[in-house]
Amino acid sequence: MTEGPSDADLLRAHLDGDAQAFAVLVRRHRDRLWAVALRTIGDREEAADAVQDALLSAHRNAAKFRGDSAVTTWLHRIVVNACLDRIRRRQAHPTVPLPDGNHSDDRPSAPEPAAPPEDHETKLVVRQALADLPAEQRAAIVLVDVQGYPVAEAAGILGVAEGTIKSRCARGRARMALALAGLRGGPENGTGPKPRDAGHAAGGNQQAAQTVSSGPGGNHPLPTPAEGRDER
Amino acid sequence: MTGAEFHGVDVDLLADYLGGALAGTPDESVVATLIADDPAWRSAYESLSGDVALVVAELGRFEPEPMPEDVAARLEAAFAEAGARPQLTLVAGDEAPRVREKRKLRWVTPIAIAAGTVAFVGFGLDYLAGRDGGASDTASSSSGAGLTQERRDTANAPAIGGAEPGYGESQSQRFSSEAPKAASPQPQVLTTGTDYTRATLAAPAPEPLLAPGASSSPDAAGATIADELGRLSPMAGLQQCLNEIAEANGAGPITAESVDYAKFEGKPAIVVRFTAKNGMWAWASGPACGTPAGGADTRAKVPVR
Repeated sequence: MTEGPSDADLLRAHLDGDAQAFAVLVRRHRDRLWAVALRTIGDREEAADAVQDALLSAHRNAAKFRGDSAVTTWLHRIVVNACLDRIRRRQAHPTVPLPDGNHSDDRPSAPEPAAPPEDHETKLVVRQALADLPAEQRAAIVLVDVQGYPVAEAAGILGVAEGTIKSRCARGRARMALALAGLRGGPENGTGPKPRDAGHAAGGNQQAAQTVSSGPGGNHPLPTPAEGRDER
Repeated sequence: MTGAEFHGVDVDLLADYLGGALAGTPDESVVATLIADDPAWRSAYESLSGDVALVVAELGRFEPEPMPEDVAARLEAAFAEAGARPQLTLVAGDEAPRVREKRKLRWVTPIAIAAGTVAFVGFGLDYLAGRDGGASDTASSSSGAGLTQERRDTANAPAIGGAEPGYGESQSQRFSSEAPKAASPQPQVLTTGTDYTRATLAAPAPEPLLAPGASSSPDAAGATIADELGRLSPMAGLQQCLNEIAEANGAGPITAESVDYAKFEGKPAIVVRFTAKNGMWAWASGPACGTPAGGADTRAKVPVR
């Protein structure tokens, strides 16, 4: 538990004109905010810009915080939304990748920092599989499985129903599991049909996210969108 | 991921089952039956559940990722600068606030002077204070409290919308010029004060003066709702809120049919009924709807059948 004034106290102090209070508040949470941003957006510079834009926005608009969630949830929400906005803008206005880059519209440009020697390949595959997920699935998994937030809090951060978080996490994990199975010689390793979006081109994630559907033959169609069951 | 790895198996549905997203839905038992009866589903279930567990374990082993010193320093410097200029700090490249600030200054004085007529110009404001000013104008007048109530309502007007940029624009101007995602004919605007639940959200809004779910008198309910939802008035943030709802709905533009300034499970909420490519929906959003932090501030959404 943080000693000293609570997050809410610091926010109030900021609103009362304490020039240092907001910086103190952010200092408390910046590492987690950074980790969420970096792993969601995947690019260090973009993550830095997104975090700065988001937190400056929070600084300016602190009076609009109504206290119906924890201050840290609110901060995370602003940062994650800033990251997702940037990803969407990238998709809307794709850039030409640098000659030495593999930057795509949606996924992070490269796996995160190198893993230790043990399980190195597995780690790399998992990190790359995470980077390849559609942004909304990736954000949900980063919050729940990487950062350890409860589903309810992740739902509050992303502004969706808990069932949606569960679905995004479940489908994202399944995608990653298939990538892992491919590494071990599973269905993706040349012995069976590959997913439509395996090795997709730039920007393919979003399309894949919108076209995932019931399996071949349509014997068991997905239920109609309903509360807690929409993938988005 | 398409499910092509497991012939005849809907991998997304199976993933939802594994992740608990189907709990309590009819699909949960459907998938359980398939796993029990269909060898392909059973095989896929066993394979996927093991691999998903590995993935989750691996994700849990990600190392901490502290903010780099240079990024932290940049952030601190930005806060220091923002603290020195609390009202006018702009994010790089963000030109809009400067324009909005000028517009606000231009409109504040006329709005203050014209506060007594605001209720007749900005019809959304009296909705916010507890009445339906469109279809129920007649009912309001016939109640005998119309004019008195009207004047009382205007006292809230400057607080609700007077400082908002673009306040002098007509509602139709705002809806037509700032509606990339939720462009629509003007929706019916209501303030029933109804306390919706998930079970009642899809039902048509009750007549304001007869609303059985209204939690208090029109005055008290109107004051509470005006306080909480003031920034979502048609003159102010409603369009941004509708845009966020359209974004969250994820099925392209929406056509709002009605907007009810009401409550959801006891808390102030705006209830929007709209149609989109994915059907008709009743959508409850909280007071933060349309803000950068709040997104659509979704409280609940149900299909309307």
